[in-house]
Amino acid sequence: MTNRRAIFLTARREVRDRLRSRAFLIATGLQVAVVLVIVAVSAITGGDDTQKYDLGVVGDQEALVQQARAQAQAFDVELTVKQVADRADAEKQVDEGNLDAAIDSGELITSASTEDTLVALVQSAARTATASEELRGHGLSTAETERVLNPPQLERVEVGGGDEGQGLAWIAALLLYIAIFSYGVAVATGVVEEKSTRVVEVILSAIRPVQLLAGKVLGIGLVGIVQVLLIVAVGLGAALPLDTIDLPSSTPTLAILVAIYFPLGYLLYACAFAATGSLVSRQEDVQSATSPLFILLVGGYILSFSGIGTPDSTVAVICTFVPFFAPMIAPARAAQDALPAWEAALSIALMLLAIAALIWLAARIYERAVLRMGAPIRWREALKLVRTPAS
Amino acid sequence: MVRVLELDSLSKSYDGTVALDGLSFAVGEGQVFGFVGPNGAGKTTAMRIILGVLAADAGEVRWRKRPLDHELRRRIGYMPEERGLYPKMHVAEQLTYLAEVHGVATDEARANTARWLERLGIADRAHDRVEELSLGNQQRVQLAAALVHEPDLLVLDEPFSGLDPVGVDVLSEVLLDVTRERGVPVIFSSHQLELVERLCDAVAIIRSGRLVASGRVDELRTREAGNRWKVEVDGAPEDWADRLDGVHHLGDSSYELDPGIDPQTLLAEARRAGAVNHFAREVPGLAELFREVIGADAGKDGDS
Repeated sequence: MTNRRAIFLTARREVRDRLRSRAFLIATGLQVAVVLVIVAVSAITGGDDTQKYDLGVVGDQEALVQQARAQAQAFDVELTVKQVADRADAEKQVDEGNLDAAIDSGELITSASTEDTLVALVQSAARTATASEELRGHGLSTAETERVLNPPQLERVEVGGGDEGQGLAWIAALLLYIAIFSYGVAVATGVVEEKSTRVVEVILSAIRPVQLLAGKVLGIGLVGIVQVLLIVAVGLGAALPLDTIDLPSSTPTLAILVAIYFPLGYLLYACAFAATGSLVSRQEDVQSATSPLFILLVGGYILSFSGIGTPDSTVAVICTFVPFFAPMIAPARAAQDALPAWEAALSIALMLLAIAALIWLAARIYERAVLRMGAPIRWREALKLVRTPAS
Repeated sequence: MVRVLELDSLSKSYDGTVALDGLSFAVGEGQVFGFVGPNGAGKTTAMRIILGVLAADAGEVRWRKRPLDHELRRRIGYMPEERGLYPKMHVAEQLTYLAEVHGVATDEARANTARWLERLGIADRAHDRVEELSLGNQQRVQLAAALVHEPDLLVLDEPFSGLDPVGVDVLSEVLLDVTRERGVPVIFSSHQLELVERLCDAVAIIRSGRLVASGRVDELRTREAGNRWKVEVDGAPEDWADRLDGVHHLGDSSYELDPGIDPQTLLAEARRAGAVNHFAREVPGLAELFREVIGADAGKDGDS
């Protein structure tokens, strides 16, 4: 039998095993539901962060109102202008909070809760309206006054990310952590299931250990990738049509990095989990044997918090280059536009190197340990096994 | 006898414990071959070496004179002692998968699966998970798993343990049929010696990783029997044979003859003593033989 057929057969079994499992289907359904709930909640609550102001106007202030409307666009706020009967009414409404502010012949009526943005907006509008009148008085045409008073705005360039991508960074780090965690554990328990039931003896009398290992890691990984993509697609698919949700500009980069880092992170951890699983013979021993990997994975997840809070910190940069931590930190930094391309490239290259090394190590340990039944094999013993010829 | 499977001086130790110590024996074409010995004697180790899931420290396994390699091993049907099935996988899917892994094309794998499930009377459980089946039915699935790729050799580790009498009958019938129809040799280990004696053409008895006796069951019985006779004489005194040299009364009506003593002398003496109504060579059953060759120092062997 060809290598490819042996791996295909075992991978297909893993995929079917999962698709057949009710627990898996329920978990996937739950995850999709959670994503939908998150999208719905953010659409209802925080989603629209454009400020809305109600501005009262006493008497005819056409020039000023016109300028205020123009300024509102520049300030990225929504301005509603309401005609108010008289000064007393304006003061009353501002005081009661029906209006955020009101203008009355050269005066701006505000309350303690009036925001500076609105004040600045009205002041700026008033200045422009007055200036425009003056200029017209000096014989300039409307077009000319426009050009003088409303020169093209400076283009706004954002640096350092800021808060914009933080929410997304949290979600990305959590998603990668959960996905790598659960699929890594699935590999370990799968290996031990075969050992404890002795199926492994039957299978390995027909195909080689490395083929079984490769099929298992690829099959489970394939299901994992599809599941992660499904969750990302459902999340984006639900969020995009709701224009109340502002997706940060980093979203496409982040989606690509998640699509790269999940398979890489999974491969890295899956190899480690498979090798660890092959060291024990009973499901009861899986947890204690894999605890060092949990510490690494949970550690990487916790360190990713620093990558979310301060994506440029030394810790975050260093962790980007540590293969066991990178899958959670790098995308979190990218979500905040704080991952330079060269760092991403180096991080991915280092991961590929680490994966190559770990595949080699895991295959050697697995081959030698998977048929050894009985007490768990200690790590020191396992490393000794690596140097012995395969049995 | 055409030797199809030969174990040649296999040795294996685990961390200083000797499991096999120069074990050799051969299985002939179309033989049902019993593999017996006390717990920890090395039966499972030997089988795992045959299957290649364990490497011997020394020695070789040959299949029709060729060292057993990976390709040849795919032609073996193996049933490990414990389960050997994915508990959560559906019966038919599992069998098809195992056939495919052993190199059978998908369509043929499906057809074989259906045929063996029918044959073993579990066709109606084809779409159940293995863990949902009774132990007896799980064992049938295991047997089907060993047969589904139409192997050239069957290696079964304790296939009868835990089976009810009906299960034992079904399994023995299948094994005999497989050897008869397709000439496939079967090697299996068992502690049920009466069963081994009934089913097997030949046996190997091992202890502490060493061969104690092997060969055809009838030959072994006569060979190991020594020169023991059962003589019943009506109306003779208890001590009628005492004056014969080289004849030892073992109690009841059993007499052991020293080498070189002609049984006819015993018969002649018996006839002098009275009316002989029974005179026959006493051949021990396999169980008795086993106890004789193993029994003396069975206590030495630890379980493993």
